[in-house]
Amino acid sequence: MLEINNLVKHRGTHEILSGISFKARPGRVTGFLGPNGAGKSSTLRILLGLDRATSGSALINGKPFAELHNPLATVGASLDGSGAHRKRTGRAHLRWIARAAGLPNSRVEEVLEIVGLTDAAGQKVGKYSLGMGKRLGMAAALLGDPQILVLDEPVNGLDPEGIRFIRTFLRERAESGNTVLLSSHLMGELAETVDDVVIIKHGKIVADGTLEQVIGNHSSLEEAFFALTSEKAGDTV
Amino acid sequence: MRVPSSKKITLILGAELGKLITLPLTWLTLIGTFILNLFLAAAFTSVGLQETAGTQSILNIGLASMGYLQAGFIILGILAACSEYTGGQIRTTLTTVPWRGLQLSLKHLALAIVTIPAAFIIAASGVFYTFIRMRDTATGLEIDTMLAAIAGATGYLTLTTLLSAAMGALIRRTTPALVILLGYYFVVSPLTRDLLPGLKRYLPDTAGSYMYMPLSSEEVNVLTALQGTGILMLWTLLFIIVASIFYRRRDA
Repeated sequence: MLEINNLVKHRGTHEILSGISFKARPGRVTGFLGPNGAGKSSTLRILLGLDRATSGSALINGKPFAELHNPLATVGASLDGSGAHRKRTGRAHLRWIARAAGLPNSRVEEVLEIVGLTDAAGQKVGKYSLGMGKRLGMAAALLGDPQILVLDEPVNGLDPEGIRFIRTFLRERAESGNTVLLSSHLMGELAETVDDVVIIKHGKIVADGTLEQVIGNHSSLEEAFFALTSEKAGDTV
Repeated sequence: MRVPSSKKITLILGAELGKLITLPLTWLTLIGTFILNLFLAAAFTSVGLQETAGTQSILNIGLASMGYLQAGFIILGILAACSEYTGGQIRTTLTTVPWRGLQLSLKHLALAIVTIPAAFIIAASGVFYTFIRMRDTATGLEIDTMLAAIAGATGYLTLTTLLSAAMGALIRRTTPALVILLGYYFVVSPLTRDLLPGLKRYLPDTAGSYMYMPLSSEEVNVLTALQGTGILMLWTLLFIIVASIFYRRRDA
């Protein structure tokens, strides 16, 4: 379970997040939507302990990220880009992560196989395409076989095959009881993957509910999204 | 914050070592420094061959390249710290090991583990080269003095590397960190030595140089090797502590 409680983030005089709250529950894929600059990445970064909240809390199974006993086995995270040094090989990158968590090198080979990067694992990350970098980030997130996945724009830059893989994979993870929180701006992909939707605009939550609740009377998630995030849009759903 | 167990500490140290040794730039820097040092040792020895050789002159000539050689170790320290900020690796590091103070300390320890043997080999190679070239004219060689000077040089280079890594962690970007540190070591410090000679005893590089420099009877107010070690160690610790405070408080 992921719980965001009244989260506020200031950067200089600018308020990035204005007291947002929502939950991502086990067994469900929660889509976190919003226009660029709405505060999606800031929320995920605070949740993962990368940025500090000005006030409020972001908890993972009731604890802040830094208090998790075994972070890699609890939360798998993939943010923008590969998260790897471009001069290191994909395999070497995954191996240092595995070593830090006490996982064997055989697990590295397993996740490389899962994301389809086995053949490219000996190449330097700098030679990877955008999609391969995403797959490497996903492989790192899966290393500890975590109960929770937090993914920032997981399908952005992937080819149709990659998008289909992620969609199927995330659905399977959720159906086996895991928690999945993903941010995206690709409505079509999201509508086929998520159970719950949270929409953020200018650092405030403007919609939070099941996919059906958020779509409401609109013809699609995309319609609902634009209705809720256009400058004239008003109250929370 | 939960304090990780000793097993976890060993695992994190292993991961930090893994990061360092799988970074090609680490090896390029060390090999480049080794080769450059041998060239410098050859040049200084050619000049020195005209003098009478003894333990002190072999050490003076063999370690004469230290001033230039330290640049390689400054680069190594900065690369170790700033490589975290390439490709967003810092996010992976902190989502794998969110205990920031501990992680940064273990990164410095891993860097010391890699640096100590490398610094010893590089410093000793310069002295050994000079010894080989000058052995025919050398008289009364004192092995203990030579080993102490090489150990001192190893300590100096290791502490300088750690100080540079702390500076890298503070600044987070390779080029500005290089400009600041190389600017200090190769411009500001030499100028200060001439303009404010009294400061020589307190600056990290000049005080640290007494760790390996043979004592000269002509100089007044010199430091012992132990005092030099203490002052450089204090500077290094100070930078690591400041870097650690910022590292723990700042957004990654």
